[in-house]
Amino acid sequence: MLVEPMRYLSSALLLASAAMAAPNLAIVLNSAEETLSVIDTATMKETKRFPIGKEPHHLMATPDDKFLIVANAASNELVFLDRTTGEVKNRVKNISDPYQIGYSPDKKWFVSASLRLDRVDIYNPETFQVLKRIPLPKAPSHLAYSPDSKMVFITLQDTNELAAIDLETQKVTWKLGIGKQPAGILMTPDGKYLLIGILGDKYVEVVDWKARKLHKKIYTGKGAHNFVRLGDGKHVFLSNRAENTISKINMETLTVVDSYPAPGGPDCMDVTADQRYLWMTSRWARKVSILDLQTKQIVKQIPVGRSPHGIYLVSHAPRK
Amino acid sequence: MLPDDTGAEGQTVIVEWFNIWHQWIFENIVQPMLYRMEWMSFDELAYDWTHLFLLGALEVVLLWALIRPLELWLPVERWESRKATRVDVLYTLLARLGVLPIFFFIVLTPAFDWVNAQIRMAGIIPPSFDNLLLYVVLLDFVDYWRHRFEHRFNIWWALHAVHHSQRQMTFWSDEREHLLGQLIAAALRAAVGLAVGAPPATFVTVTLATAAIESFSHANVKLSFGRIGDRLLVSPLYHRVHHAIGIGHTGRTMGCNFASVFPVWDVVFGTANFTHAYLPTGIDDQLTGRDYGEGFWRQQWLAFRRMAG
Ligand SMILES: [Zn+2]
Ligand SMILES: [Zn+2]
Repeated sequence: MLVEPMRYLSSALLLASAAMAAPNLAIVLNSAEETLSVIDTATMKETKRFPIGKEPHHLMATPDDKFLIVANAASNELVFLDRTTGEVKNRVKNISDPYQIGYSPDKKWFVSASLRLDRVDIYNPETFQVLKRIPLPKAPSHLAYSPDSKMVFITLQDTNELAAIDLETQKVTWKLGIGKQPAGILMTPDGKYLLIGILGDKYVEVVDWKARKLHKKIYTGKGAHNFVRLGDGKHVFLSNRAENTISKINMETLTVVDSYPAPGGPDCMDVTADQRYLWMTSRWARKVSILDLQTKQIVKQIPVGRSPHGIYLVSHAPRK
Repeated sequence: MLPDDTGAEGQTVIVEWFNIWHQWIFENIVQPMLYRMEWMSFDELAYDWTHLFLLGALEVVLLWALIRPLELWLPVERWESRKATRVDVLYTLLARLGVLPIFFFIVLTPAFDWVNAQIRMAGIIPPSFDNLLLYVVLLDFVDYWRHRFEHRFNIWWALHAVHHSQRQMTFWSDEREHLLGQLIAAALRAAVGLAVGAPPATFVTVTLATAAIESFSHANVKLSFGRIGDRLLVSPLYHRVHHAIGIGHTGRTMGCNFASVFPVWDVVFGTANFTHAYLPTGIDDQLTGRDYGEGFWRQQWLAFRRMAG
C-alpha cells in the first residue's frame, strides 16, 4: 500500500534536489495563446502565465547568460527576459518575423529565420540593426552555425532543402536537397556533420556540410523534429513529433542508442543540470512533460497554455 | 482573458475533457493522415482546425438540442413537409464543421500573407486587442455594413438572395448563403481580425458566440426579447422582419433590420423596424414564381445567373 506514495515522494525529492542549486524555473512559450508560462521546477507547478506577444516560438539565452530572448514571430520583436526570474526587461522592435534565432559562436552575427516571410535576416548582435535580408524559397525554419562562424545553415521546410549562407559575403553559397519538411538542425561537436530532423519522414538526415552531400540517414521515428544536447558532448536527444517518442543519438557513431516515450506531440526540450530529467513541451496535450531518463518514465505532466513550443530550464545541462 | 496564475486547478473538467478529445482525435486521426499525405508542415494549422471542427460540432449539437424543442413548442409556421429546410442543414454543417472555413483559409492565405508581409516589413504591427466585447462590437459593425450593401447593390444581392429565398426559415438557415458571399464575409472578418490583432482564442470565442445568436435569430420560434430586449440583442422576431416578404428587402435602404447581433446599428443608421408581427419569409418575386433553386448546386448556379443579369 505504501509503495506508490513512496515512489512519488522519492521521485519528487530527487527532482527537488536536482534543481536546488540554481533558480528553480522553467520558462515555456505557449505559441498559440500568446503567453509565457513560468514553472517552479521544485513544486512542478505553473506559478505565472502572462501575455508575451504574438506567436512566441523559440527562446534562448544571450551569450553572457544574463537574459533570455523570446522571439515573437508575429509581433516582429525580441523580448528580453531576466534569465533567472522570467521578468520582461526589454523589447527590441523591428525584428521581422523572428521564428528561430541564434548568435554565431563568435557572437559577431545574430541571425533570424523568418518562416512566414520566406527570408533569413542577419543582424548586428549589439544594435539589432538589420545588415542583410536574404530571400529564400519557402519557409526557412531552423538554423545552425559552422564552428568557425563563417557559415549559417538553414532548413527550408517547404522546398525540402538545406541552404548555406556565407556570413561574410551574406549570400547563399549553396543549397542541398534533403528529406521532406526538414525542421531542427544541429552541428555535431566535431564540426563535421549537420543533423537535421526530417519532420515529414522518420529519420535524421546527416549532412557532410564540407563535402556538401548527404552522409547517412539515422532512423528515429515519425515526425523527427528538434534536438537538444544531453550535455556530455556526445549525445543528443531528438523529438519525434508524430511517433510520440524521443530518440537518443550518439553523435560520434551517428546511431540511435536509446528511445523514450513522449506523449502529446513532443517539440522543444531541455535537460536538467544533473542530466537526469528531460523536460519537453507536449504540443498537442497543452502540457510540459518531464521524462526520467533513467527509468524512462514520464514522471509528471504540467498543464500550460495552448500549443506550448519553446522551453528553457534556468538550471540546465551544459550546452555541449 | 487569462488570470495570472492559471494552472490545472483553473481548468474546468469540461475544458479538460474537451482538450483530451481534441488531442486524441488529432494524434490518432488527423496527424497520421497529414503524415501520409506529406503535409506535416501544416500540423499546427491542422491542430487548430481540429479544434474548430470539434467546437463547431459541439455547438451544432447543443444548438439543435436547445432550439429544436423551442421550434416544436412555439412555432411561427407549421409545415406539411420540412423538405425545404434540409439544404440549410447542409449549409450549416459545411460552415460550422470547418469545411468552408478551411477552404476559405487556403484561398485567402496567399493574399493575406502578402498584405501581412508588406505591413510588417513597413514595421507596422497591429495592437494586441484582447477585449472580447469590443471585438464583438467591431465585427458586428462591419457585418452590419456588409449586410446592408448586400441588399443595396444588385450584384451583391444576387448572391445574398440565396439566404433570403428560404420560405421555411429555421435555426439552420443562418449559414444558408452563397459560397462567394461567404468568402467575401470571411475575408472581411479576417481583415478585421488582422487589423486589430485579436489572439486566436478570442477570435474563436467570438465566432462561436455570434454564431449561436445568429442561429437562434433565424429559428422558427414565436419569440421576442421584449420592448427593451429586442433593442439590445437580435431576436427571432427582429430578424424575421428582415426576412419578411415585402418588408425585409424594400424601400430606400433596401430593407430593414440588417444587424446580426446588436440592433443598435439599425437604430443609429435609421434602418430599425420594431414591427411586432411574425410574417412569412421569402423574396417578393418568389410569389410570382421566380425560382431560386431548391438544391445546393442549383442555388449556387442561379445566383451567378442573376449576377450576370
Ligand atoms: Zn439579408
Ligand atoms: Zn438572415
